[in-house]
Amino acid sequence: MNNPYKILGVNANASDDEVKKAYRELVRKYHPDNYHDNPLSDLAQEKMKEVNEAYNNIQKMREGGAGAGSYRPGSGSSGSSGGTAEGQKVRVAINSGDLQYAEQLLKNFPTRNAEWNFLMGSLCYRKGWLDDAFTHFQSAVNMEPGNSEYRQALSFMSQGGHAYRSYGQGQRPMAEQGCDACDCCAAMLCMNMCCRCS
Amino acid sequence: MFGYIRPLQGELKVRELEQFKACYCGLCHALGKNYGFVSRFILNYELVFLTMLLWSEDTPITIGRSRCIASPCRKKRYCQKNESFDMCAGFSVILTWWKLRDSINDESFIKSLPYRAFSLILSRAYKKAKSDFQKFDRCVQDELLSLSSYESSALVSLDGAADKFANILKAAVPEKLPEPSRRSMSEMLYHLGRWVYIIDACDDYSGDVKFGRYNPIAVIYPSERGVLPSDVLNRLETTLIHSNNLVTSAFELLPENPWSQILQNMIYLGMPDACSRVLTHRWPPGRKNNKKWMKLDE
Repeated sequence: MNNPYKILGVNANASDDEVKKAYRELVRKYHPDNYHDNPLSDLAQEKMKEVNEAYNNIQKMREGGAGAGSYRPGSGSSGSSGGTAEGQKVRVAINSGDLQYAEQLLKNFPTRNAEWNFLMGSLCYRKGWLDDAFTHFQSAVNMEPGNSEYRQALSFMSQGGHAYRSYGQGQRPMAEQGCDACDCCAAMLCMNMCCRCS
Repeated sequence: MFGYIRPLQGELKVRELEQFKACYCGLCHALGKNYGFVSRFILNYELVFLTMLLWSEDTPITIGRSRCIASPCRKKRYCQKNESFDMCAGFSVILTWWKLRDSINDESFIKSLPYRAFSLILSRAYKKAKSDFQKFDRCVQDELLSLSSYESSALVSLDGAADKFANILKAAVPEKLPEPSRRSMSEMLYHLGRWVYIIDACDDYSGDVKFGRYNPIAVIYPSERGVLPSDVLNRLETTLIHSNNLVTSAFELLPENPWSQILQNMIYLGMPDACSRVLTHRWPPGRKNNKKWMKLDE
C-alpha cells in the first residue's frame, strides 16, 4: 500500500490541522466540479478515492478509530433525464467515450431540434472543440429556453469552465503593478532626501 | 515557434528563474550537439515548456557551465542533456522544417526566397531529425496538410482548424509513458495546442486583415479595419480561458517532476497573462507595452 502521508504531501509528524488542510486542498483540486464532463473525470475520481483513503487511514492510525467526515463525491455529471430514445443512445455513446458512434448517430438524427443541438454540443465538448460546443448549446437554449439542462450547459460554457487555482492566487503579477526601475529610483531619491532633512 | 507559453518571471523564485534559464540554454546546447550549429537559431519557448513537461519524474536536474556563441566571455549555466532534451530538439527541427515548407507553399516565389534559403540550410538537420522521430514527422506532415486543405476550403469552425494543430502537439506524448499519465498528457497537450493556435490567430488578426493574409478568426468574424468588436473578443477570451482550465485540470493529474513549480507558474500565471496581453494588444511583454497599458488604465 502507498504511504498515505506521501499521497497527501505532508510529513508523517505533521499536526492534525496540517493533515486536514492538505486533505482539503487536494479535495478542492480533484473536485468533480473541476472535471465536469471532462474526458479525464474517471482519473480525477480515482485520485479523489486515493486521497480519501489516505486521509481515512491517517485518521485511523492516529485515533485508532474510524475516520469520519471525508468528502464523498456525488455523481459527477447531472443525470440524463428526458430526451428521446435516439437521444438516450447518443448520451450513452458519449458517456462511454465512443465519440465516432455518437457522431454517426447524430448524423442520422431525425430532426435538427434543440436536443440535437444539445447533444452535438456535448459531443463537441468531449472532443475539446469548445467554441463549437458553445454555439450548439446556444442554439439549443434559443430553441427551447425552458430546458434547465440546456441552460446549465450554456452557463457553464460562458464561464469558461471550472478549474482548481491555488498557485499565485489573488496576487497581481509584478509587471502589472507598475513597479519598474524608474519608480524604484524615484522612491529611493525621495527617501534619501527625507533622511537628510533630519 | 510562437513564444506565448512563458513563465511570469516576477512570480518565480530566483532559483527557479535560474533553472528555467538553464533549461533554455540546455535545449539550445542539445540542438547544437544533435543537429548542428544552424539549428540553434530555432530555439523557442514552447519547446522549452515541452522539455520540462516531458521530463521523467526520477531524473534530477544537473547543471553544467560553458561558454557559447550568445555568451562567449562568461560561462553560463545550462542543463545537461538527457532524453527529454533529445526529443524536444528533434521536435523543434521537424516543426520548423514543416512550418518553412508551409510558408514556401503559401507565398509567391520571390517572397518565399528567404524561407527557401533557410530550409536549404536546415535540410541536413531535418533529415537526421526525421530518421530519429519518424512517427512524429509523419504526424506533423499529415496534420499540416489537412490544416492547409481545411483552411483553403470554406471554413466553418475555428475548432476544426485548431484541431489539426492541437493533434500535432498531442503527438509529442512519449510512447513509453504509462497509461493513466498518457491520457492526461494527451488531453493537456491537445488543449495547449488549441490555445496556442487560437491565441496566435488573435495576435496576428489586425496584421493579417491589413495585408490580406489568411487568418481563421478573420474568416469567421470579418471586419474591415482589423479591429474585433468587444463581444467577439469576450467570446474568444472565454474559449481561451476554458482551454487553459482544461490544461490545468489535466496537468494536476500528472505525477510531479522536478519542474512542477515552474510549470505551474507557466500554466496558472503565464498563460492567462499572455491571453489578456494579446487580447488588449500588449504583447509581447516589455517596458513599452507595460507603459502603454498603464496610460490606458489612468
